[in-house]
Amino acid sequence: MRTVNEINHKIKQQQAVVWTVEELKARVKEVGVTQAAKEVDVVTTGTFEPMESSGAVLNLGHTDPPIKIRQCWMDGVLAYSGFGAVDLYLGATQMTEYSSMGELADADERDSRSRNAVRDRGGGHVIADLIAGKPVHLRAIGQVTDCYSRASLETTITRETINQFYLYNPRNVYQNFIVGVNGGDRPLFTYLGPLQPQLANAVYSNPGAVSPLLNDPDLKLIGIGTRVFLGGGEGYVAWEGTQHFPLQKRLPNRTPIGPAATLALIGDAKQMSPRWVKGCYFKSYGPSIMIGVGIPLPVLNEEVVVRCAVQDQDLVAPVVDFSIPRRVRPTFGLVSYAQLKTGRLTIDGKSVRVAPLASIFLSRQVALELKQWIEAGKFTLTEPVAPIPMDRTFLAQDQLGAQVSLE
Amino acid sequence: MYLACTDFSVTELNKRLWTVKKRVTLTFPKRSVHMPVTYRLAKDFNVAANIIRAQVAPNQIGTLVVELSGDIDQLDAAMDWMRSQDIGISLASREILIDEEVCVHCGLCTGICPTEALSLDPQTFRLNFTRSRCIVCEQCVPTCPVQAISTNL
Repeated sequence: MRTVNEINHKIKQQQAVVWTVEELKARVKEVGVTQAAKEVDVVTTGTFEPMESSGAVLNLGHTDPPIKIRQCWMDGVLAYSGFGAVDLYLGATQMTEYSSMGELADADERDSRSRNAVRDRGGGHVIADLIAGKPVHLRAIGQVTDCYSRASLETTITRETINQFYLYNPRNVYQNFIVGVNGGDRPLFTYLGPLQPQLANAVYSNPGAVSPLLNDPDLKLIGIGTRVFLGGGEGYVAWEGTQHFPLQKRLPNRTPIGPAATLALIGDAKQMSPRWVKGCYFKSYGPSIMIGVGIPLPVLNEEVVVRCAVQDQDLVAPVVDFSIPRRVRPTFGLVSYAQLKTGRLTIDGKSVRVAPLASIFLSRQVALELKQWIEAGKFTLTEPVAPIPMDRTFLAQDQLGAQVSLE
Repeated sequence: MYLACTDFSVTELNKRLWTVKKRVTLTFPKRSVHMPVTYRLAKDFNVAANIIRAQVAPNQIGTLVVELSGDIDQLDAAMDWMRSQDIGISLASREILIDEEVCVHCGLCTGICPTEALSLDPQTFRLNFTRSRCIVCEQCVPTCPVQAISTNL
């Protein structure tokens, strides 16, 4: 029907027809798959959700005399430095260390409010601050060698004063996820936020039918090298994501019934915008980061439209009880995203309030923004360099053998 | 103390020229806890007391967050009378504030808000805050992952 090259030619002439995936779903209802496939060249998807397996690679540039950094904190958050001298990796869920903040921590003891404001921070906030152009305090301890004579460094950096600053996120854009509830008798503080006892609330974290990987369930269009909208800048699919589990059980429409495929994404953080990258914090769980990711899907054939026409009532997620702190937790069955989005769910005959954790409003805005980029000829599509493997099993880590020797 | 959620004669009160509303926090010494305060406010001062939040137990200091509405002079008289009964009155009562610039409309707060004062618009999925429903339980404050929710105190 169309090739990526033909679509790109139209994009460059600003003649491509681009719809958000929700516009496509509505159009398919009106005119059917065949007609919709004739009309549209590109469909844009989006999500805006906490993506805790994210982080930033930074290269500081060399000081004089130079330093080989062995330990480093940015605004009190430990960054990994076990590679090249001034290369750093700052992870989104790394917690602020107050002992390393010196005077600031002492001063804050007097003021519980600002102390909490500092306490509830981590790597995600530091990354978001750098993206917002804010200065970040950096303290480093070096190993003195003949090449690198400096033993310590204390300075302030911004995104303009460092060489490379890019996000490399090992696991983003989960293809579907779970719904968390708490069937126990005490409140739980989870990566899905607070879950109140006796099934008092439920939380789901995937935005449903607008979400990228639910519209290309078998990853036929998305692969390694696919250009994406990442945090308001251009990014790329680098690899399969960690915990990539394409063999998850699937419905006849090919969408998975629980957590399945994931992607590793990479992109220049210097291009990104604070609107699409936000530090976040889950009470009694820890810091994380919320990122907007949009993926364009080229309408190469009718099959693409069939998959993109999937609606919230055709997508399901398992309701999982977090009160059992084990790898395999009991479930209360599957629920549709259409049901979740009503804000109410029935479990064991009980009506339970359900809230999202992904921002459905901002997920739509990502799809809309990407659509505008493509319409303006600023963003062209890519063919994957290599496919994402679709046969990965999901291994668990079990301790093998007797842990205590009886001999 | 006699806790009656008096919502009566608001329309009648509104006919008056100087009807005002004040949200106050009342603190009761132990010995006043048995007093039917909201009844006296209504009967003696024609002041309606809508109880937003209450923490009252026998032989303990009680606190009550109420929205008082009535004639401006009668409201002042009612507050003078409460002070004469050693009831502490704090005019600066807590309110929930939502920073529109920071909120990402994730909706996590809507699941824990007990009165559904916080809700998502079913069409746009933007966060709605219906202040009149809020009982200032403050559960949303630590729940918000981007710290967009605070109290004014």
